[in-house]
Amino acid sequence: MIEEYEAAAAKGPRIWAIGGGKGGVGKSVIATNLGASLAASGARVVLVDADLGGANLHTLLGVATPPTNLSDFVARRVKKLADVAIPTTVDNLRLVSGAKALLEMANPNYGQKGKILRHISALDADHVIIDLGAGSAFNVLDFFLIARRGILVVVPEATSVENAYHFLKAAYFRKLKRAQPRPQIRSAIQQVMAEVSPQDLRTPRDLVARVMAVDHDAGAALVAEASTFNPSLIVNCAEHAEHQRLGNDMSTACLDYFGIRLECLGTLPADRLVARSVSRRSPAAVLYRRSPFVNAMRGIAERLASPNWRPS
Amino acid sequence: MRPRRRDWEILGLEPGADLAAVKRAYRHRRALYDGESLATYTLLEDDERRKIQAEIDAAFRRIVGEEPPSERLGMPAEAYDETDGIDVSAATPPDPSHQPGLYLRHHRQHLGLDLQQIAAETRISPAILSKIEHGEREGLPAPVFVRGFVLQYARALGLSDAEKLANAFLERMDG
Repeated sequence: MIEEYEAAAAKGPRIWAIGGGKGGVGKSVIATNLGASLAASGARVVLVDADLGGANLHTLLGVATPPTNLSDFVARRVKKLADVAIPTTVDNLRLVSGAKALLEMANPNYGQKGKILRHISALDADHVIIDLGAGSAFNVLDFFLIARRGILVVVPEATSVENAYHFLKAAYFRKLKRAQPRPQIRSAIQQVMAEVSPQDLRTPRDLVARVMAVDHDAGAALVAEASTFNPSLIVNCAEHAEHQRLGNDMSTACLDYFGIRLECLGTLPADRLVARSVSRRSPAAVLYRRSPFVNAMRGIAERLASPNWRPS
Repeated sequence: MRPRRRDWEILGLEPGADLAAVKRAYRHRRALYDGESLATYTLLEDDERRKIQAEIDAAFRRIVGEEPPSERLGMPAEAYDETDGIDVSAATPPDPSHQPGLYLRHHRQHLGLDLQQIAAETRISPAILSKIEHGEREGLPAPVFVRGFVLQYARALGLSDAEKLANAFLERMDG
């Protein structure tokens, strides 16, 4: 499923998945405004509301009742994902709504997930932005991992930062676990898991070191796999100087502690206009183009749209 | 003792970086792992933190060939901008309900910020900020304004107990 997806992704749209362990940190607002900012520069953008339990991108875009949504596609009432991508009030920006998604869809099975992924990479668009739900469920992690770049959102609060680390660790272990087609690697990992107590495997770096000790080739394969894990970070609701540093500090700490390269894409200031745009049901990027939040968002959009951009 | 490759990694530097870069990186790393940084506060257990701090110090020693700067917690020397000889940078902060001003000063210095930086952030003059820190009533405006100043100052430092601090400060002004 993943290999097939990766081949298609090379020519398809750039896929960004926005997640983060905690609810209420602004994932949906960021997805919407990132989409609107990219669309404003002329790119064709599709937003996918994959927060299957609590979809609300349609509300942020002023679409009262989406005529079709993701569950129509999953239930095969339409043939292609593109058929449920509806236009919004923003030019160049379409929405695949998750509204009224069936409750059981909050946990799509393997086949459904694979089908969604294939269709996302076949969309005729420059960028697809997937808004993930909160939490670190396998579904969320899988969408996060298949994106061209998974983007974590944190706010400068200890609980949010803590959840972000938890999420990163879970995603990373999920990635390593999935990447073991070779029996040699699998058996080395199993041996480590059986022999080493969980306290000694607190970070991915510990796991790699232990596997390396058991079987050098398996360890090297894990290191190679790990180096392709390149999540990004957006800090939202920054209020003062210490908050401005948080993104880079988390990057440093991640590299030191987990051995993960976490790139900070930018810091978005706390801005009252954002709350106002939400109650007006239109993106701040449309209503308040000169607000500090939208300015900072534009910087992030430019980075993601850059032709030279590649995972570091 | 010669530095190892790992020592440069610990400070996040390319081998052979110049002394100024080493000192900057050292301060940054020490501040990052000092137990107050939002980025590592929830990440590390105390023993892990102490181990990392010791590694950072050891890396500095091997690279520079001398003891790490004596200022605590990676603060730049400029942070010690006062001359009154009270070392409020000591590990235990002053009691916020008895010495709210000194408590603010402790946290400011802890972050390595000077009064000018706080003034730029809050638009409160450095003279007023200094009076607040030292609990001097002379020259401060009416309590209702002072309350706002203390709140802003505390929030600029990212303190969660800003309200309590402002109340404590006003109580002391009345007394």
